[in-house]
Amino acid sequence: MSGFVRDPLLERNAEQLAHFGYVPSVSGSADEQPDWAGWWRQLRADFATVHLSQVPSYAEMSPWPQEAARIYMRRRLVADRLFEECRKLHGELLEYGISTERVEAYSLARDAYEDSVHQFGAARQTLEEILAAQADVRQSR
Amino acid sequence: MRQFKTYEKGDALPGDYRKALLHLMSFQADSEYAGAQRVAENHRFATRPEEAYRLSKKVFEEMGHAFYVWNLMQDLGVDVNARLHELSHNPENPDPAKVNVINGFRKENWSRFFDCWEDVALFSTVVTPAAVAFLGQYQNCSYLPFARVNVRIHKEEFGHLAFGVWASKRCIEFGGTPTREDMQQRIPKFMRMGMGFYGRPSAGGDRSQMFDMYYEFGLKTKKPEDLQAEYLQLLDSRLKEIGLEMPREVEADYDMRMGYEAGEEPSLMAART
Repeated sequence: MSGFVRDPLLERNAEQLAHFGYVPSVSGSADEQPDWAGWWRQLRADFATVHLSQVPSYAEMSPWPQEAARIYMRRRLVADRLFEECRKLHGELLEYGISTERVEAYSLARDAYEDSVHQFGAARQTLEEILAAQADVRQSR
Repeated sequence: MRQFKTYEKGDALPGDYRKALLHLMSFQADSEYAGAQRVAENHRFATRPEEAYRLSKKVFEEMGHAFYVWNLMQDLGVDVNARLHELSHNPENPDPAKVNVINGFRKENWSRFFDCWEDVALFSTVVTPAAVAFLGQYQNCSYLPFARVNVRIHKEEFGHLAFGVWASKRCIEFGGTPTREDMQQRIPKFMRMGMGFYGRPSAGGDRSQMFDMYYEFGLKTKKPEDLQAEYLQLLDSRLKEIGLEMPREVEADYDMRMGYEAGEEPSLMAART
């Protein structure tokens, strides 16, 4: 968590959140040193429509769509973790057998995964709107 | 409103009733799981990330439906872990002596319906309303634990229908008029499957031999004619929402749902009292 100017008030907020379990990012993990540009190359196809044929690369984006793109990719990361949770619980059903406890645990996990996939979709829509708005501005110049 | 005797978990069930109940439950549970496996195979058609993630969600949900129903069957003395084992170890050709999977969800039948992502989108748009209608009737059935899990399942099946509409609209958004025209041509093959889903009419020469018994027991709560009307109404509204038209003169394919009307099922012989 270095490399940018810090606001002391926000830093105190972070300390307060830490009392309830907030943990600052740990450098080195894939989630904390994200390859935004690389991931974007895999995901940008989601934005190429008949109305928006040219989708910018990550480096070509201005700060506003770039932030929307990072949120979109972070939503995907959350979905990925919950996907793994579902796989794990499904594996336990295969390994240990069907029981009410395991069936309901799996049900909770897939509900959470569903929410995360919908949030991923909502983030896609937000980014799509920003990209479309910027494309309109470019065309009108 | 029809009146029939209802049963709770732990109640003693008459022999014929128990046999009929397990027959319907096993077809639902085994077919939900096999259907999920087929949906998982369709991932190869997903060309965009959100489509892939949404399909992945659907796989987990369909498997979850199987787990709900198997859990109830376990209470009735069925070795459901053997069914899960068979399906997970032989996904492409499960042994009919061990599990009851409707014909449409067997790989050799399913595969010929799918060439592209548009087919995947249309399956959820055109066939899923039939599942919504057919499985929806179990929400009011006489075995109350089965009715309750089907309330949960029904809600998610509606979600799958919404996925189909969303995915179909996206296909057209990306592909424009040529894609819309192509999809329109693909609707009848899925509609035949959807129309066959709820079985032959309850009257006439081709009537189901088993329907009267299920209806009398309160296990099936709607007649095939009523389910057909419900299906066509749902389908019509969703096709309109997408901008597609309802095809005319499509005839049901009952072979794809074969199993729900069969008599003795080898896979349940061990569970009989």
